[in-house]
Amino acid sequence: MNKELEHQFVTELENNQNIVHKVCSLYTHDRDSHNDLFQEITIQLWKAYPKFRGDSKFSTWMYRVALNTAITLYRKSKRRVATQDYDSVIFKIRADEYDDTQERQLKLMYNAVKQLGDIEKALVFLYLEDKNYTEISETLGITEVNARVKMNRVKNKLRTILNP
Amino acid sequence: MMDELELLKKDWQKQGEQLPKLSYEEIYKMIWKKSSSLVKWIFYISIAEFVFWISLFFLPIQGEKLNSDGARLFQNLELSLEILRYIALVYFIVKFYKNFKRIHVTASARELMKSIISTRKTVMQYVWFNLGVFALMMIVVFIEFAKYDTTLNMTEKIAEADNSLLIWFLVGLSLLLFIAFCGFLLWLFYRLLYGILLKRLNNNYRELKKLEV
Repeated sequence: MNKELEHQFVTELENNQNIVHKVCSLYTHDRDSHNDLFQEITIQLWKAYPKFRGDSKFSTWMYRVALNTAITLYRKSKRRVATQDYDSVIFKIRADEYDDTQERQLKLMYNAVKQLGDIEKALVFLYLEDKNYTEISETLGITEVNARVKMNRVKNKLRTILNP
Repeated sequence: MMDELELLKKDWQKQGEQLPKLSYEEIYKMIWKKSSSLVKWIFYISIAEFVFWISLFFLPIQGEKLNSDGARLFQNLELSLEILRYIALVYFIVKFYKNFKRIHVTASARELMKSIISTRKTVMQYVWFNLGVFALMMIVVFIEFAKYDTTLNMTEKIAEADNSLLIWFLVGLSLLLFIAFCGFLLWLFYRLLYGILLKRLNNNYRELKKLEV
């Protein structure tokens, strides 16, 4: 039974690992911390897995645990300031797919997002993942109205970062 | 701005092939690693605090027992404080355990933070409770010995002095200052320890809470 559970869990996570990688890239600033955070999220997911009843999709359930770990539980984070020339695996823009202006715009956007606070990042992350405000509000534990208000504030903040 | 965010969204959802890819074996190995989460840290530190204060229970109270009716009243007072400490210990450990059990990584971000904060608060309350009892104990023992210790004869000696009121005032003041100083050291220690450990959590929690106002 236990072996079965292990297999089930690892397979699910392997298939959905992109979500965790995206969270890691948003909340860490280098390769080592990325892996470190990935590991911690994996441990937390595994610990909580026996209680996962399948009443929601595995991926939906993962968002909560991954974000909670990144925002609250993860300890080893080296609190480095995001630098403008930061170039992670994920945020590297595929130059051939965009014209110059778009590419530059995207790069600036990614950098701006990296400069946001923990909660703001979570909002942007869920927004980028195409989650609706009901899901966003439930994940963060705030009301839907407040999630919208906060998201608007974050958009304004991004605007200020982009056009100082 | 909206366009830029939409642009970002499109790009974000396309990034799949650029993300690192871990194999089944790599993930499998990870599930057996030890967690180093904040909750673990808090758990160990809290246990250390309980152990510290419990070990103080066994600290022998120095000095011989005084034999007089008046002194016996104070000894009963000390005993009551002692019993109070045991009751409080059980109460706080149960409360701590209950709060700790309520920490779920699958809760909403706000709930999770709240449960961690309330777990911390329980230990904090226990520490302040102990400090309070410690201060009371010191005052009781001090009065007991000042009044009834025949070898010290403090009351009489001070009463014989010209400015006895001033001396009493100074003695009382230094006792209070000493207690305040102990409290201050403890407060400083906690500020440092939890300032470092919980700063991020407190900030994030405040940010979420601010939204509700």
